[in-house]
Amino acid sequence: MGPLPVTAASIRQGRRFRFSPGGAGVWLFLVALGVVALFPFFLMLATSLKPIDEIFETGRLLPRRISLVGYATVFAHSLLLRYLLNGVIVTVLILAGQLLVTIPAAYAFAKLSFPGREALFSLVLAALVFPRYIAAVPNFLFLSRLRLIDTYAALTLPFIGSPLGVFLLRQFFRQVPWEYFDAARLDGCSLSQMLRLVLMPLIRPAVGAFAIFSIVSHWNDFFWPLVVVQTAKMFTPPAGIVYFADAEAGTRWDIVMAAAVVIIAPLLLTFIAARRQFISSLMHQTLKG
Amino acid sequence: MVPTARRRMRRAGRRLYPYLLILPFFAFVGLFVFWPVAYSVFLSTMEWKLGYATREFVLLDNYAKLLSSREFWDTTANTAVYTVFVVVFSIAFGLLLSLAISRRERFASMWQAVFFLPVAATMAAMAVVWRYIFDTNLGTLNVWLQALHLPRVDWLNQTGTAMGAVVFVSIWSNAGYAMVYFVAGLSAIPRDLHEAAQIDGAGPVRRFAGITWPLLSPTTLFVLIIMVVRALGSFDTIKVLTNGGPVGGTRVLSLLLYQEAFQFFDTGYASGVAVVLFVIVLALALLQMRVEKWVHYQ
Repeated sequence: MGPLPVTAASIRQGRRFRFSPGGAGVWLFLVALGVVALFPFFLMLATSLKPIDEIFETGRLLPRRISLVGYATVFAHSLLLRYLLNGVIVTVLILAGQLLVTIPAAYAFAKLSFPGREALFSLVLAALVFPRYIAAVPNFLFLSRLRLIDTYAALTLPFIGSPLGVFLLRQFFRQVPWEYFDAARLDGCSLSQMLRLVLMPLIRPAVGAFAIFSIVSHWNDFFWPLVVVQTAKMFTPPAGIVYFADAEAGTRWDIVMAAAVVIIAPLLLTFIAARRQFISSLMHQTLKG
Repeated sequence: MVPTARRRMRRAGRRLYPYLLILPFFAFVGLFVFWPVAYSVFLSTMEWKLGYATREFVLLDNYAKLLSSREFWDTTANTAVYTVFVVVFSIAFGLLLSLAISRRERFASMWQAVFFLPVAATMAAMAVVWRYIFDTNLGTLNVWLQALHLPRVDWLNQTGTAMGAVVFVSIWSNAGYAMVYFVAGLSAIPRDLHEAAQIDGAGPVRRFAGITWPLLSPTTLFVLIIMVVRALGSFDTIKVLTNGGPVGGTRVLSLLLYQEAFQFFDTGYASGVAVVLFVIVLALALLQMRVEKWVHYQ
């Protein structure tokens, strides 16, 4: 980054593209790190499309012939399909449960005043801080006493009461203009119309941000399924692909990589489609260990 | 009489209403967060192997066992090394990336997406890909080494390289996360400060040292704590890449907890590890809350 000649003209032109040695260095830095950041994704995609004989042809990154055998195997393999289905079931159940219990609680904390509100809310903040590992052993013991190990209940129940959900939604509800409700009621809206036409549009941004966060963290969760799942068919995608790679795949890296692509794809496509919301909703993750 | 009774009922109902709204949430949190935390502390005072009928109250024996065991101190040392390297390099790369990106407005959002991709992807699946890259025989790294007529390296099974590999992959997956906070922090620095300094003849390095770095320091502190908490809690990468090996060389506290609790079923000892981890993270979280206040009141 050499010093630039500072003239009025150069400041005016500041935003136009200029070639300068400093700029080229920065560009080179970005490209080099960008290659490192993207290389595993590229390798995953390229290997997933290789025919099996080319897997051992190690000098070559790109497939000579495109083969969809890996993907066909993933979609024909009953367990890998099951992992995806489990992932969908678990994330949907968790999100639905979280919204059911956190929306009323967040509303109460945001809009109603009642004795003990501050004390109870500081409990929410405290729960936000606890790392998940501290609760793992007792939760496992509790769920096994209820004979729920290896069920969807064990995979979802511990996450329903989301302190982060209450925290984020409360922040948002405080800014919502609730006068719209009174206006709607005066205009003769029915309850279902109020929910559909007034409440949903008002809370959608907050619910959307929380939903992205919830889906991403539970689709990606590896630790908890490893703890409460004992038969392979109950794994969610991350634990499932690791189990598959360890126990079944051997050197069939084409299938492993195809499975990885399929598992990562839903989140990455959402990310590419809604980049800004995605990043900002993951930035709320701050307190969770 | 009837109307007043009804009114009184209605008033009582209205008074109870907020509590009814928060009850389901607190039922779940109480059952799956607060009670387990208390129970963990209780369990850590017990000599108890899962599956055995007897458990015995031993007060601080588990902690004494923990503090006198080589394994615990090795694991703690690994955790410290892992955390320090991952945090320092993630922050350094995150900061450099955000500075580089902020210079070019047109492609800023594209670059940000590129470096955030590793954060968004399922880490366990990406760790499987990294395991392929580090593989002894088919691995991309060894293929390149061979092309350069260098000997193969058994990256993940060798004491000298395993920790480095695990740290590298963790930086890969964390730097983008640090970056987005720095991008947000940088965008809050008024542009005219830089322009004024530029007119006064300050070069890029002086502008960074005099303007950007001091104004960014609350963000840096904030990111520092987030990164430490993330590094202390990281499990997926290490579990998949090395499972703590070779001979415990990459075992960190979260993995030790998992192994003691769910592979060796030493419930009391594992709860002791959990409490230690809990105390560290709690201290950091409290620190973070302070910092957060400070950042917002800037």
